Amino acid sequence: MHRVSKLSFPLRPALVLVVPLAIALLAACTPENNQSTFGTAGPIAADQASLFKFIFWIAAAVFVLVEGAILYISIRYRRRSDSDKRPYQTHGNDKLEITWTIIPILILAVIAVPTLTTIWAQQNNVPQDKGEVLNVEAVGHQWWFEFRYPDHEVVTANEVHIPVGRPVAFKLESSDVIHSFWVPKIAGKVDMVPLNNNFLWMIGDEVGTYYGQCAEFCGIAHAHMRFRVIVDTEEDFQAWISGMHTAPDAPIAGSPEASGKNLFAANCSSCHTTDSTTPGSYAREISSQQARWNGWISDIENSGIVSAPNLTHFGTRSTLGAGLKDLTQESLEGWITDPSSVKIGTRMQKHAAVYDTADGTAKLSPTEVSNIAKYLLSLKPGSAPSGAVVETGGNVDGAEVFATNCTSCHSTGDNKIVGPGLAGIGDQAGSRVAGLSSDEYIEQSLREPAAFVVDGFPAVMPNWSHLGDDSIDALVTYLKTLK
Amino acid sequence: MTIKSLTLPQLFPRPKSSTGIWSWIGTVDHKRIGTLYGITAFIWFIVGGIEALLIRAQLASAENDLIDPETYNQLFTMHGTTMVFLVIMPLSAAFFNWLIPLQIGSRDVAFPRLNAVSFWIFLFGSLIINASWITGNAPNGGWFGYAPNSSTTFNPGMGMTYWVVGLNILGVASIAAGLNFIVTILNMRAPGMSMFKIPIFTWMTLITSILIVLAMPVLAVAGIQLQTDRVYGTLFFDSLGGGDPVMWQHIFWLFGHPEVYILILPAMGIVSEVLPTFARKPLFGYPFVVFAGAVIGFMGWFVWSHHMFTVGLGPAANTAFSISTMLIAVPTGVKIFNWLGTLWGGNIRLNTPMLFSISFIAMFTIGGLSGVMHASPPTDAQQQDTYFVVAHFHYVLVGGALLGIFSGIYFWWPKFTGWFLNEKLGIVNWALMLIGFNFTFAPMHWLGMDGMPRRIYTYAENMGWEGSNLAASIGGMILGLGILVFIINVFYSKMNKQIAGSDPWDGRTLEWSTTSPPPPHDFDVIPQVRYRDDFWFTKYPETISEYFHDDHDQAVPSGAQFDDHDHDPLVVSGGADDHDDDHGHGGIHLPDMSYYPFILAFGIAIFGIGFLTNTYIIGIGAPFFLWGLIGWSMEPVNDPE
Repeated sequence: MHRVSKLSFPLRPALVLVVPLAIALLAACTPENNQSTFGTAGPIAADQASLFKFIFWIAAAVFVLVEGAILYISIRYRRRSDSDKRPYQTHGNDKLEITWTIIPILILAVIAVPTLTTIWAQQNNVPQDKGEVLNVEAVGHQWWFEFRYPDHEVVTANEVHIPVGRPVAFKLESSDVIHSFWVPKIAGKVDMVPLNNNFLWMIGDEVGTYYGQCAEFCGIAHAHMRFRVIVDTEEDFQAWISGMHTAPDAPIAGSPEASGKNLFAANCSSCHTTDSTTPGSYAREISSQQARWNGWISDIENSGIVSAPNLTHFGTRSTLGAGLKDLTQESLEGWITDPSSVKIGTRMQKHAAVYDTADGTAKLSPTEVSNIAKYLLSLKPGSAPSGAVVETGGNVDGAEVFATNCTSCHSTGDNKIVGPGLAGIGDQAGSRVAGLSSDEYIEQSLREPAAFVVDGFPAVMPNWSHLGDDSIDALVTYLKTLK
Repeated sequence: MTIKSLTLPQLFPRPKSSTGIWSWIGTVDHKRIGTLYGITAFIWFIVGGIEALLIRAQLASAENDLIDPETYNQLFTMHGTTMVFLVIMPLSAAFFNWLIPLQIGSRDVAFPRLNAVSFWIFLFGSLIINASWITGNAPNGGWFGYAPNSSTTFNPGMGMTYWVVGLNILGVASIAAGLNFIVTILNMRAPGMSMFKIPIFTWMTLITSILIVLAMPVLAVAGIQLQTDRVYGTLFFDSLGGGDPVMWQHIFWLFGHPEVYILILPAMGIVSEVLPTFARKPLFGYPFVVFAGAVIGFMGWFVWSHHMFTVGLGPAANTAFSISTMLIAVPTGVKIFNWLGTLWGGNIRLNTPMLFSISFIAMFTIGGLSGVMHASPPTDAQQQDTYFVVAHFHYVLVGGALLGIFSGIYFWWPKFTGWFLNEKLGIVNWALMLIGFNFTFAPMHWLGMDGMPRRIYTYAENMGWEGSNLAASIGGMILGLGILVFIINVFYSKMNKQIAGSDPWDGRTLEWSTTSPPPPHDFDVIPQVRYRDDFWFTKYPETISEYFHDDHDQAVPSGAQFDDHDHDPLVVSGGADDHDDDHGHGGIHLPDMSYYPFILAFGIAIFGIGFLTNTYIIGIGAPFFLWGLIGWSMEPVNDPE
């Protein structure tokens, strides 16, 4: 009736294997790795890591005891030879049961105390005694991060600058699905949940660049939704802020950058803002971003616009595509030519008319791509006072200005692209806004597009003042000829 | 009889054959249904395993482009969904079906046809979810289906609709099965088998079934809301329309955490049977193990928000759920210590089932300890949604539930079939699985602490994650090899049959008292139960005093009367005992076979297809559904002869 086991295992090598693996877990600590939770550079992450280590060593002790007991008992009481001995049929022991119920409770109480104090130290308000708080609003988008500094009226994307040693209070929002804001070396993650704004504070203790990554599955490009936190000295941070309010130098006429600027304005600027340096541009960018979102969500299949990172002073950034690649002329050209070859899932190709080709690559020559890349890399705080314009030296052809800059959004007929068709604009312009002649209205539309937006169209038109007075005049004259 | 006049006209005759395909479609035998569950779930296990291996192949190196991100998202979504709903749950159900009537000395479950309908609905639900692979649009929003990423705006393909429709159908099957086993265990026990004499696996089945009956409707609430969001444009969870995505998480995890215990408690029950048998000692602290299981089942309802520590519920909620989560480690620890107490002083035979069960304790302990680490919200802020969590729950669900299930397969296989699985191949199977498992999932602890998020289809070369990922991928192949050896073992052992007697392991519970495999009626004579581990003490009455000598609460003198206060000893399966003496097989009375459960389940499957294609198709399902329902309710348990 009893089956005699011929094969029995005196030792369990695989169990023995587990012990070195667990030891290797801590021994293999590589704090230098970019997202190591052990290589901390701020008090939040440091406290989280030390709490982890505290629990880990308690768990390690329990692990050694329990696994050791399993091995010891299995070996000591294993059947020898063919003994069919029946052990004593004991049913249990109440005292032991009470003991091994109470001991875990005590161990867990020891873990609970630092856990609870850390929760309340980290997840409540920013402590008063840590210094002046910097407020940042971080907005998750599929699949990039927008950063706004409401106190400084600065908006940027994918690379957030913070001053060393000062607490930063992040207000975490999402425009679409749930994302999670995580900078492993500085602070554990908090989710960005649509309609449920969250809060996270952190301090960067050491100057440097830190990796961040979205931690909540958010769709096809989740793996590519990364960002950087750049911890600056206080001086560098203030310099960065003031740089963000300084317009870049205008490109020299005829340079590749100047050509790139016009190409960018014609093909890219309805989604990407590059000029958030002027007063009022902060509020305008927030409303433009909202308008891009509204435009996209109301007609996902056909929308000509989509939420997109603000590219002001893009040349000062170190990465491309939400922390994906190092930013170089070469990588940027690759991106502009075929964005999804770099970052699958990006919506540029679906929505920007410039990618409306058979294979989805840009309708631009290699030189044009190169010029746009050069222009973007040239976007850095300049020496000239804000508002400098390109001087073109008279004799401008309005039709050419229109063809270069406006046709990706406006037709000269009646059909809508992103903006309205402009046939007959000269006749209608005089009656749009009381007190403005048609010349004044068209000029206002070009210089302050947000001042009056025609019903039914998104408020996404950029400010074209940088074309210069001659081009604007020529454009107004040309537009009035459209019938 | 008036009942006869109400019977629906039968379109085809009631199945009678005991062989062939129709005998399976019409079966109401709990053992055959258990076999159907087991085979179906094992096929899905292979599918889910292949999905896992593809995931590991993609992650084996940085910047790999073997699998595109959309396919990758489908793979991890379907891997999780498959393993939870189509593998572990139905494999547990296979054991429930096979064992519960045998363990409690009954001839079938309380509702044999309900049992059949549970299986058929499960089968159709699982086919509907996986049919999405054929349409090219498998679910891609994660097994957790977080809103609003699961909405039609952000997920316009049909995949998540397949997912939610399939889950809603599977839920019906689970709830029906859960109710069936609750009623069976409470009402169909053999004479004398009071609640504290039922085998521990039966106890865990009872607790699991109660959890299923309470938890699956919670999932159904979320599932039906998501289904109408996707199919009819309601706005329960769609943040674009003002719906609350956090509400989805609350409902999903209010189901999801009890679900974890639905997955692990049956395995704990299996281990609690295997350890005493192979240590040749009774389970140490039986009432404490039972109570710990019940406490886990109860407390499992108060910990769901530990899946949401980073959602921003605030420090007060995180404090509360942190404490409740830590407390649930206490009854879990009690179980582990009692298992060790069972082994202590035993005469331990290290056969394959025992190797799996001991490994279960060892691996589950690791999963429990890492669980305590993310019970602490500040450390969880670094671990949530990283590979550390992936490591944790695979230690619980593979190192725990799956090793437990394999232990059960090797343990009860001779009972199910009458022959052994080969022991040498079994040990190879075990060793490969255990080694492969640890190589796969131990490095993931490290990856998580090193900042690797979950659900990313690729990672950069400069992150330092390549070595651990490669180790995990190699480990996955070894684990897969272990499963392959199991399949080989089944066929090898079938061709080289080593016949097992009715009691090959010197068992302790009633299933070992009947033949292997058991006859259709399970027991020739319904056993009368006096003790816990009644079969053991019947074999070795001289050991009764050892077990009971110092027991104040339940001193049962040798040869005592069985207590029947909670039990009607006349109840046998099928309930109809009015004319059983007339039958040829010794007065044993079993319900006749029926096609109606299959027809009813088929109708429900058409409903599902209707939600996926065209609402009018739901109307095509209605006649089948009603035919099955009405035909079933008017069909007598036994046709008059």
